[in-house]
Amino acid sequence: MHSNDAQLLVLTALADGEKHGYAINTAIKELTGARLGPGSLYGALARLEARRLIESAAEPAGQKDRQRIVRITAAGREALRAELEQMTHVAQVGLRALRQAPA
Amino acid sequence: MNTTALLVALYPPPVRERWGDDLSREIASGGPRSWPDTIVGAVWLWTRPSDWPERAPGQTRRLVLVELAAAATFVALLLRAAGQPTARFTVSFDHPVTSAWAAVIVAGFLLAAPLPPRWAAVRRLPAVFLRTLAAPAAAFTAMYLLAHSGLSAHPADVGRYLAPCYYWATLAFIGLRLCRLARRVFALVAPPSTPRLSLATLLVAIGLALAAAQNLASEPASSGRAALSVGLGGIAIAALATSRDLRRVARQDGGG
Repeated sequence: MHSNDAQLLVLTALADGEKHGYAINTAIKELTGARLGPGSLYGALARLEARRLIESAAEPAGQKDRQRIVRITAAGREALRAELEQMTHVAQVGLRALRQAPA
Repeated sequence: MNTTALLVALYPPPVRERWGDDLSREIASGGPRSWPDTIVGAVWLWTRPSDWPERAPGQTRRLVLVELAAAATFVALLLRAAGQPTARFTVSFDHPVTSAWAAVIVAGFLLAAPLPPRWAAVRRLPAVFLRTLAAPAAAFTAMYLLAHSGLSAHPADVGRYLAPCYYWATLAFIGLRLCRLARRVFALVAPPSTPRLSLATLLVAIGLALAAAQNLASEPASSGRAALSVGLGGIAIAALATSRDLRRVARQDGGG
């Protein structure tokens, strides 16, 4: 999967609340029908965190529970909103063109 | 070391420290089908230093230096595996045109050279060298003694296959230890600025691309030569991606 697509899916999965990596991938599977591969998922998480679009919600508590929980930042919400609006616009234009085109 | 730990070990250390446990869990639950994506993700992250979480100033630049040292080691092993160079690929002062690729790479490494360490760090260097290179020096000595002992001149059936394995295992071990030495030494020095590192990585990429093209154009063509060019070209592409990423960081930071 293209890295930008993976980042968009991760942001979408985090839009309704903080999650750890496995839960993010489960949400993505519910959304798209397939899980991201480990490299795509954690590559996207690393990039999103470097761009400050997501952040750690809490440090892992102990040795047994070392899953890192992340949440979307305000900048992440804004980036996701802009991306989804652009996709909506493209979808609307495409659907309108399909309706107008002769069969 | 199991497969999951091995795959996690492929990732850049800062990413591993941050996401290693979660990544292990995801690989274990995904099984062998997740391995190709995991490997591609590791390669992708090695070429994107800007995505590495930085715990201390200069950590990313030091790690890029280690990356360059690892690339140099890998290229040296590739060239050793390729055997005798062809006329178009020869590196010597007598053949300046065919040596251009090596000159560009050397220029890149000189540009990436870290600033001199402080005196306190210099005093620690001999101990670092001794601790890191003692084992590979012993392995090399053992290989040298074995090669000159006469035993390898007429090896038995098993030895005929074991000798090359031992030779390449020793070279790989020395290469890994050299990378570890680079990591330990670069931890003690002041790393170059991000723009300088970006330019240095670009020169290394150009040199490797030239090497790949020159080697491919050499006669006679062979599958071994094509494999060498693919290897050199692959490292050149990775170096170019790293350079572009560093340039983007430099633009954002306004300098290293």
